[in-house]
Amino acid sequence: MKVEIRLPELGEDAEEKASVSRWLVNIGDIVNTGDDLIELTTDKAAFTVPCPQNGVVVELLVEEGDEVVAGDPLCILES
Amino acid sequence: MTENKTEQDVPSATPSKGALGEFPPWLRRPWGSGALFESTRNVVQGYRVHTVCQSARCPNQGDCWQRRTATFMILGNVCTRNCLFCSVRSGNPARNVDLEEPLRVAEAVRALSIRHAVITSVTRDDLHDGGAQQFLNTIRAIREINPHTTVEVLTPDFKGDVNAVRTVAEAYPEVFGHNIETVERLHAVLRRNGRLYEKSLSLLRFVSGFSDKIIVKSALMLGHGETRDEIVKTLQDLREVGCQVVAMGQYLRPTKSQRAVQRYITPDEFQELEQIAYSMGFLFVTAGPFVRSSYRAEEPISMLKEKRFGSVAR
Repeated sequence: MKVEIRLPELGEDAEEKASVSRWLVNIGDIVNTGDDLIELTTDKAAFTVPCPQNGVVVELLVEEGDEVVAGDPLCILES
Repeated sequence: MTENKTEQDVPSATPSKGALGEFPPWLRRPWGSGALFESTRNVVQGYRVHTVCQSARCPNQGDCWQRRTATFMILGNVCTRNCLFCSVRSGNPARNVDLEEPLRVAEAVRALSIRHAVITSVTRDDLHDGGAQQFLNTIRAIREINPHTTVEVLTPDFKGDVNAVRTVAEAYPEVFGHNIETVERLHAVLRRNGRLYEKSLSLLRFVSGFSDKIIVKSALMLGHGETRDEIVKTLQDLREVGCQVVAMGQYLRPTKSQRAVQRYITPDEFQELEQIAYSMGFLFVTAGPFVRSSYRAEEPISMLKEKRFGSVAR
């Protein structure tokens, strides 16, 4: 089953916009819950986004330099 | 002696724009995610409470909320001041106070099973008591329905109004925190009022003298261009007014509208500052890039109570 992984929402007033610094996984990688998928930067700091479930990375939907907001799809996993 | 070391007040070699790839490697945090994080978010939203985690865009939000803790911000989310380092919305709350807020905060504390609740607020210069009564009511409401929870407040300066400070102190929070924020010289710049430094010290002095049952705490954000000597002087001033716990962390610009970071302090420098503070007699010191006064505030509580009220007479 293919699953779209989205940037989690932080809630009202929180920082929800970021730019993509780099992917920490490649297409074809086996990933487990908690593995860091991608590094983002906001105005304030750098963040890593952990993988919410086990699977294999089949597609990356954003690339370095892209602006992303909470709720945006980041990649697709086959699980 | 490390105390005598001086640090040049120079612009750092580290770029501070906060744009792509410019943060030093130690400034990396987990983005909030996962079931525990979501459950905290649901409680915060469900009880319609504000958190400084969100309003200040705290980089620790992911870490703390995954541990099901949050720092509640009372008296709304609109501040009457406009400090250059802070992203909390500034405006005129027109003397509005939500009288049901204390109960909602207390219920959120219960829903999250928080054992050490940290309550802070926006500054409310529009209220005659600066919101002190709301602090008192919130502490009481938390205690009422969470009898085993300890309470820490992090208050504004109440414009130096002793009666307001006394109102909060009379609720006997386990910890009374008030942040000095920065060194004396930079108050004029960052807080647009140089006299606020002395006001903050007076507040801490008052609370120290009010009761030895209350642990007095303060915090400094570093990276605004302060020198090592200025930091040490500030720590000395805090000790002199009876402050026992201090936290030091890296200032990080919340958005491009706030003041740029002047310098990134390295983890080693933070460690050194921690040692300096301990050598000055603070009971508990935390220092590190992501240290905030409320970050992991629960950790020293049992130790502090023992130190303060244990069998060893003071």
